[in-house]
Amino acid sequence: MLPSAGKETWNASVNEEQHEHLVESNAILLDVLRDQVGTLGVKRGCDMGTCGCCAVLIDGEPRLSCLCLAKEAQGTQIVTVEGLADGHHLHPIQQCFAEAGGSQCGFCTPGFLIVSAALLDENPEPSRDEIKCAIEGNLCRCTGYQQIVDAVEMAASMKRNGAIPPNPTDPKSDPHPLGPDDPSLPPGSSK
Amino acid sequence: MAKGYRQAPGKSGDKKRTDGKRVAGQQDFGVPGSGGSNPHSNLQDLDYVPESVGGWKKQPRGPHVHDRHITGMTIGKSVPLVDSNWKVTGQAEYGDDIRLQGELIGKILRSPHHYAKIRSIDVSAAEAMEGVFAVATGQDSVNKFGVLPVTKDEHAMAQDKVRHVGDLVACVCAIDEATAIEAMNAIIVDYEVLPSIHDMEDGLKDSEHPIHDRGKYHIGESNVQKRVFQQFGDLDGMKSAPFVHESDWETAGLHHGFTEPHAVVAHWDPAGRLTVWTPQQVPHYLHRGLSAVLDIPMHQINVHRTFVGGGFGGKSDPFPHEMCAAILARKSGRPVRINFDREEVYWINRGRHPSRIQMGVFADDEGRIAGIETDALIDGGAFASFGHVTTYYNGVLHTAPYEIGAFNYTGARVWTNKPASGAMRGHGAVNSRCAVEVGIDAVSEQMNVDPMTFRLANLLPPHSRTITGFRVTSTGMRECLAKVREQSGWDEKFRNLPLGKGIGVGCGFFISGSGLPIHWDPENFPHATVHLQCDMDGGVTVHTGAADIGQGSDTAVAQAVSEVLALPLDMIRIRSKESDTAPVDLGSYSSRVTFMNCNAAIKAACELRDKVMKAAWEITGYNPDVLVLGDRRIYYKHDPAVGVSWLEAVHKAQADVGSLIASGAYRTPPMGGVHKGAAAGLAPAYSFSAYVAEVDVDVETGFVKITKAWAAHDCGKALNPLAVKGQIIGSCHMGMGQVLSEEMKYGRDGHLMNPDLLDYKIMSVHEMPDVVPIIVESNDPEGPFGAKEAGEGPLLPILPAVCNAIYDAIGIRINELPVTPDRLHKRIEKHCRKIKVDDPLDLPVPRFEPGPLQQVLVERAEAHAKRDHLRDIQEDRSSYVNGVLFGFDPDKPMAEQKEGWREAVVPTPQDLADPSKRAARAWGHVERRHRGDE
Repeated sequence: MLPSAGKETWNASVNEEQHEHLVESNAILLDVLRDQVGTLGVKRGCDMGTCGCCAVLIDGEPRLSCLCLAKEAQGTQIVTVEGLADGHHLHPIQQCFAEAGGSQCGFCTPGFLIVSAALLDENPEPSRDEIKCAIEGNLCRCTGYQQIVDAVEMAASMKRNGAIPPNPTDPKSDPHPLGPDDPSLPPGSSK
Repeated sequence: MAKGYRQAPGKSGDKKRTDGKRVAGQQDFGVPGSGGSNPHSNLQDLDYVPESVGGWKKQPRGPHVHDRHITGMTIGKSVPLVDSNWKVTGQAEYGDDIRLQGELIGKILRSPHHYAKIRSIDVSAAEAMEGVFAVATGQDSVNKFGVLPVTKDEHAMAQDKVRHVGDLVACVCAIDEATAIEAMNAIIVDYEVLPSIHDMEDGLKDSEHPIHDRGKYHIGESNVQKRVFQQFGDLDGMKSAPFVHESDWETAGLHHGFTEPHAVVAHWDPAGRLTVWTPQQVPHYLHRGLSAVLDIPMHQINVHRTFVGGGFGGKSDPFPHEMCAAILARKSGRPVRINFDREEVYWINRGRHPSRIQMGVFADDEGRIAGIETDALIDGGAFASFGHVTTYYNGVLHTAPYEIGAFNYTGARVWTNKPASGAMRGHGAVNSRCAVEVGIDAVSEQMNVDPMTFRLANLLPPHSRTITGFRVTSTGMRECLAKVREQSGWDEKFRNLPLGKGIGVGCGFFISGSGLPIHWDPENFPHATVHLQCDMDGGVTVHTGAADIGQGSDTAVAQAVSEVLALPLDMIRIRSKESDTAPVDLGSYSSRVTFMNCNAAIKAACELRDKVMKAAWEITGYNPDVLVLGDRRIYYKHDPAVGVSWLEAVHKAQADVGSLIASGAYRTPPMGGVHKGAAAGLAPAYSFSAYVAEVDVDVETGFVKITKAWAAHDCGKALNPLAVKGQIIGSCHMGMGQVLSEEMKYGRDGHLMNPDLLDYKIMSVHEMPDVVPIIVESNDPEGPFGAKEAGEGPLLPILPAVCNAIYDAIGIRINELPVTPDRLHKRIEKHCRKIKVDDPLDLPVPRFEPGPLQQVLVERAEAHAKRDHLRDIQEDRSSYVNGVLFGFDPDKPMAEQKEGWREAVVPTPQDLADPSKRAARAWGHVERRHRGDE
């Protein structure tokens, strides 16, 4: 075994839930979140602060958890991607990433969501340039960023308007429907 | 309020009912499976229903065979990916997110040497360590594997030699990562270092220690892994052409740069079956590979594809670490998880080949492309991977979209002691396409014609055949060019911008699915199979093996099923992850999934629909010919009020036949020539694209910024425009990275210097310009609803468009990628010295004065546009093969019409006489098995 650096008790609130774990004193926050807290939505992309996949909010500030000792986050309020939604209602930024094509393979998405959510908390009406500055530390290999910026813009306006994303647990399509509203019309002619 | 079933089944008077209506007065009960948010069937969305079947959707290129399956539900509409809610909530499980009870952590010991013999491995110290459960070396797995059956040259771990830094030597699994690392470090390996090869040209020479030994098939004693020779057409005509541009390209190796590092979990269950969780693009070939390596039958293995955090070709080989996890799990009796760090991702590589390409583009005095001559030497690194195919693709994929007089290709791929190159988005076609398009720009300039016009006057028409026999069906190339020309303001900007600002155009051509499967056994095995299952709940489960790697294949197949069955997407669920439940699909490579898998899905959905329609016929009394499948409801064409719900018909069908399932398969039609290598590049359809890029070049520093790009891609039919646009912009991002900043840098001693995302420069959001995605729909006759690929082809044109824009800005022809500031600065200095300009700010900028050919080509392009339209709508069905533009009769063999017409795949000594051609040197060796003939 590697000589242990000595274990310490680590406390923090993760997604509004108090966690207490015995962690190595040199443990990286990313490892603690993934392996001990169990928030696997925090992604490990590079371990060196280049990709932004591991971003979390620490006391409201976006931070790269791979560059952060667990110790530094002792006693803080941590929010990961799992903590963005309100029950089944997605956060507007989550809803818009899905709708605007901001997420393709989805691996970088948690990081983008975290930094964009932080941006929207600070700046309810960001310009495209401000959005770009907010996400500049995150790499996406699929989208070319354009639809991500679209998604953040959409989410900003959704949030400003106070719109609440739908609850996906609401009843889905009825496989046993009645005819069109006015069955006497031929299909399509209502236009 | 949903209608229910009657109280007394059997007394319902079914036989008398002919109008589809219920008998009044009987009490309704709730229908099992009914209820939901929208109790009324929606009217057909005629905006999305084609004219040919009574809708309002215009069809400028005529009807399509799938038009009658269109119900206006989802096809052509922008829909979010069906799995996006998993991704945005962090609940999508990627490779490293699979955590099993009792898991052990696996670590891989990698070679520190470029090339070495392994004299001995001592694992005793590692094995004795507390917390270590198993250690494995090459001896634990002696069977070979490889993605292509003809070039299996990989092992789970090194057998006798290591072939590159990072090659797998041994692996361990332990209770935690720290212990596993400690154990890995305790393994003692005795190496005998061998002289290593790093420059691809050295790979062409005989070697004392060839990196692989292919026995009697080995090419001399060299490191040539594959060599290709193809010569078609009128070579003499090409050589005597007046306008020639020859260039010598050097392009760096690339990595896919996906954000998710590889990870794998393997577990042998108590019944002795192996399950492997892995982010794989091609689970089926891994399935075969595991079976071969572990010596167990395929049915003993379940390959579970996790969510894939980006692939782009980099997760399409069966990988040695996947074998290692299975071996360790077998030895230890516990589940084993291996996850890579970012550096390891670069050691396994499989990225774009570093290449040296000599490109000649020839044009005759009538403004026709007299020929394309290519010599491509590509650096395969230590293993074959997909390289056999890559070697072909570097040449054969530029036999279109232009009609050419001759095609002369020599290609070779060599082994070197580097991480293996493989398939990457735009597989094999990207570098050489860039060289072709830059050459075309250069010969247009020599002829004093607009490069747009030159291209437009030399396009192959729809329904034609290329010089090597590829069957081109639909092509939207002309429309792509026209659209980017108009939207970019090309005519005002081209050659009119000041120094440092430039605009350029490039085109692309790519396969939409490879015509032959990688494994040709058994020959008629389908490429894609889809099973549908519908139960009493009325929802439809789609079982498919197509690997969703983020491109949205699950969404595409769900859309196809939803469209045919007229069901909302929320009633379709996809099961595509496990080989236990999914029928075989060959995987996400060669841009085949939408084309093949959706075709299979349409077939399956039609079968299911027919069964349900038959039930509806029995209920309503109306023949399916006069029944319309509407939104969750089947009704009489002339009186929509008369009908049955989807659920009711489904229940009836189940009552009649017991189970409601259907399946469909797709295989490519027979096509292509018979020469050796004719199958490489063969596809059931091809995609086309044309881009215009604008750049700012700082002439004092050599820094290039792309300011805007207009990207028109012919995807046949955009099943989901949102996803297609995402693919186009994403492809641009990757291509722009390749042209400006991305490269795998090898130091003087051959060591990879930038195995991380800090030094391997992927474009950030600030470098990424605005891209205007333009969708062109050419309505492919065999594509699902007319669709073709949109995932890889859109990458190709951005590279030459940028290179040509740089020329427009500063008058320097690029021939080295990436165009980093240091490289371009050197070129600018050299150019200044050559033309005797002291200050780069005084550099002359190329200008355009139309020559006499310009008008000729404008008229020819106009005539061709008419010709193409008639062929598009199939009014003109005459045969057309490459060569008609040069006066050949398409219905007679070319060789009969022209003396000296060549169709050769084996070179003669004269063909190899030019000592400057690099890949041609590969033919200087004799295969060992033929040595006796000498």
